[in-house]
Amino acid sequence: MTIKLSKFGEMLISRPAGREAYFSAKAYLLGKNPGMVEFDFDKIKVLTPSWIDEFIALLKNDFPKTKIKFLHSHNPTVISSLKIISASPSA
Amino acid sequence: MDIFKLTRSITRQKILTLFLADPGEAHYLHEIARILSISAGNIRREMKTMAASGLFNSYSLGRLLYFKINQNTALFETVKSLTMKTAPQTNNDIIAKAFLWTAKPSPIALQSEIYCQTRDIFQVRLQTFTEHLEAKLGTGAYLVSAVAGEIGNNSFDHNLGNWPDMPGVLFAHAKKIVVLADRGQGILKTLQNVRSQIKNDREALLIAFTEIISGRFGEKRGNGLKFVSSIIREKKWCLEFYSGRGFLKLARETKLKITESPRVIKGCLAVLKY
Repeated sequence: MTIKLSKFGEMLISRPAGREAYFSAKAYLLGKNPGMVEFDFDKIKVLTPSWIDEFIALLKNDFPKTKIKFLHSHNPTVISSLKIISASPSA
Repeated sequence: MDIFKLTRSITRQKILTLFLADPGEAHYLHEIARILSISAGNIRREMKTMAASGLFNSYSLGRLLYFKINQNTALFETVKSLTMKTAPQTNNDIIAKAFLWTAKPSPIALQSEIYCQTRDIFQVRLQTFTEHLEAKLGTGAYLVSAVAGEIGNNSFDHNLGNWPDMPGVLFAHAKKIVVLADRGQGILKTLQNVRSQIKNDREALLIAFTEIISGRFGEKRGNGLKFVSSIIREKKWCLEFYSGRGFLKLARETKLKITESPRVIKGCLAVLKY
């Protein structure tokens, strides 16, 4: 399944906002066993590692077998945030 | 001395704005130069003139020459009124305000436009700032906003429910500059939650900016300041970050520089120049 992150807002910045977005996605989008989750960053203006890290950490915790894929983005904040969280030992 | 001449020079205006923000506070020469980003030679010349007029008193403490505005002179109220009317809101003004707010033992009141008591207020102001900046810089505005967002939200993440006195952050911006400050626990105390052996503010700053570590016990996080650091280097911006007695400077093509600051900052103070 594909999650269009712009549905959570154009500026995805704080950890509490990332957490809240995840719980909403879990309740209404993810279903019981999402095999693959694709993140679509289209129309996002600002993404921070805090927001996306919070979302992904909770997703991995609830669904350890789910595969995660990031769709290509030209947004500099998306590129930098993904680079940072990919280098993190918890990623 | 002609008081109109006294407030005509931009350098004098900046010095007066700094001292008038807290007339009881004394500052030494190089401290004034650093806060205002003006050469010590220029500051010395202006201070000499203003001290000769009786508007400033000076005294030596150790090897430092301190200046304090003289509130007992007849000039004081007139100069204060003239300065407040003529001084523009410059980059140095907002930096000086942030220094005053974070360095005083007790908090001073902040203008409501630059004070975000809660994260919600900060988010809204950051969004408005981004929209304005986007009109000028296009997508380049997004990285500025991401850096400001990480630093500002860090203040709330690490101090929520634990603010020593005044909650919230100072968030101000002027031409190509963003200033963020809080009167929270500071980096050292925050990191000592998870690593009690950290000795001082300088060591804490180094760890915060170079290691993946969080002061929030039991949580796997701590990417925020590494993200900030990578953006500053990549875009060749400049970040000055103060916490406690620690001062960190990340500037274009230079190594991370961490020194001891002569002034103690309660919490954190960040100046981003983009």
